[in-house]
Amino acid sequence: MVNPVLLIVIPLSLAFLIPIFAFISKKILKFIPFVAFLFNLTISLKLLPRVLEQPVLTTIGGFAPPFGINIVAGPLGILFATLIALVGSLVSIYAFNYIKGKAQEKYHILYLLLLTGATGVVLTGDIFNLFVFFEILCISSYSLVAFFGDKAGIESAVKYLIQGTLGSSLILIGIGLLYGRFGTLNMADIAGNIHSVHSMSVFVPMVFLITGFGIEAAIFPLNAWLPDAHSSAPSSISAILSGIAIEVGLYAMVRIVFTLFGASSILTFLLILGALTLLIGELCAFSQENIKRMLAYSSIGQTGLILFAISMGSLSGITGGLFQVVSHTLGKALLFLAAGYMIHRSGSMNISSFGGMGKKMPYTSFAFSIGAFSLVGLPPFIGFPGKFMIIKEALSMQEAMFTILIVLILLATIIEAAYFFKVIQVIYFKGESGSPVPEKEIAPAGILLSIFIFVALIVVMGVYPGLITDALNASASELLHRVDYIKSVLP
Amino acid sequence: MNFLSENIYYIGAFSLIFIGLYILLVKKNLIKVIIGFSILDTGIYLFLITIGYIADGTAPIFSKSGLKADRMVDPVPQALVLTAIVIGVAVLALAVSLAVRLYGHYGTLNLRKIKEQRW
Repeated sequence: MVNPVLLIVIPLSLAFLIPIFAFISKKILKFIPFVAFLFNLTISLKLLPRVLEQPVLTTIGGFAPPFGINIVAGPLGILFATLIALVGSLVSIYAFNYIKGKAQEKYHILYLLLLTGATGVVLTGDIFNLFVFFEILCISSYSLVAFFGDKAGIESAVKYLIQGTLGSSLILIGIGLLYGRFGTLNMADIAGNIHSVHSMSVFVPMVFLITGFGIEAAIFPLNAWLPDAHSSAPSSISAILSGIAIEVGLYAMVRIVFTLFGASSILTFLLILGALTLLIGELCAFSQENIKRMLAYSSIGQTGLILFAISMGSLSGITGGLFQVVSHTLGKALLFLAAGYMIHRSGSMNISSFGGMGKKMPYTSFAFSIGAFSLVGLPPFIGFPGKFMIIKEALSMQEAMFTILIVLILLATIIEAAYFFKVIQVIYFKGESGSPVPEKEIAPAGILLSIFIFVALIVVMGVYPGLITDALNASASELLHRVDYIKSVLP
Repeated sequence: MNFLSENIYYIGAFSLIFIGLYILLVKKNLIKVIIGFSILDTGIYLFLITIGYIADGTAPIFSKSGLKADRMVDPVPQALVLTAIVIGVAVLALAVSLAVRLYGHYGTLNLRKIKEQRW
């Protein structure tokens, strides 16, 4: 029996062992994150079939759940942990060649800590522990945004830090209010007692928690930090921030709303917020000249779509939303990695400087196009089944409000297609007039390998969506059936 | 009056939280914003401590005979505050070091003047 706590312990301890490894040899440092997340990936894939039948519970320090900190490895948690480990290991292959220079070991420490925090958030069953892991994630991402130490990076990191810390403070106030009311920090215990008190006294902490996590998840009025932070970070970190960090914020929010509070009355509000976030993100992305900024705004839009799907509150709606989480994580990570390498070659983030890339860098351009097609939702890529499920479920709701929201979503998809095709057109059909003979692409093996594994995953999962729908269905029903969650933790 | 004297710790804690929030939203200087965070955090720590506080309570250790559990202060919020203080220090250190780097790049700490990144 594999203990799910290893998913957190191994990367965390390796992160702090890196300075010792650095004494032995500087050359092995870059392999440590890869080894850690390959290990995590193996464990979580091994755990996945077991948690589909029954959640695996672990207590820490031998205290039974209402008192001690517990790890709840349910289908949803392990699904996210698998995704984090998968993307984490692939991006660390990319970083073999991408991150160079003296500060390498700091990068690898912070990278391991970021993903440890993310894994901790999705696995923990204790609300204060969730806050602590969330802070590990946030603090390491603030410093990674400023990793290059250039003007834009520092400015964005300051913005991100101010807004992110405000969000964490709100979360802490919300946790304090909950503890004052219930006298416990265990999520299942709070969830079991939530309906026994006056609804106003749980509404206030819920608002604090949703606002706090909403900042990290970049829900519409709280998303000002995201385009700056995602566009100024190193590209490998942008991929992680876009693919993992905001999804983890969204996970925390959904967990709070569905499991902790069981608040079905707030879902309509979140539904409208999601559609607005989608529309505003895509509209802003359309007008960008900077490729990374465009991708960052597109992430805001995708978060909105995921929030919309999950807030429908039906089994197939949530399944569609989680499918969209998987497809956005893979697609956006691929786009950021490919764009990062093209920026590295062309020396500019401006979209117009990408002219002729299709001939200069055929492999990377091809991968970028696959990512873009998948995100827009063209079959046979992974983006298609997710969007299809969401629209189908929204159509079956048969309400006037949904009709308007579907129109908004389809409109946003058209805008999304427009700006992605604009970039692809520049890459393939606008040749550089100066150089008729394209120089040959000499791509480092690590970068091409990680990009092509992403492409393969996107195509395979797009052709066979059935590979993951079992796990997604189980995760969705874990969110919907909060009584089962409570019973499994507190028998 | 009774309400005031019963809840004076909560009122004090939330006053600090709102003072911190005000500084955060209004001040232009980054150092002042960081100080605002510090005040906001202190307010939260006080609030957490107040949740478990009992007037004339003692530490939750059965040291004296005849000491009952209802005269003991709740230890959980104190553990939370200890953790929150550690996190707060880490964020503060990072914020101040970023402020140093920001000053190096722009020659000013006025946040209204630093706006290269925009929509």
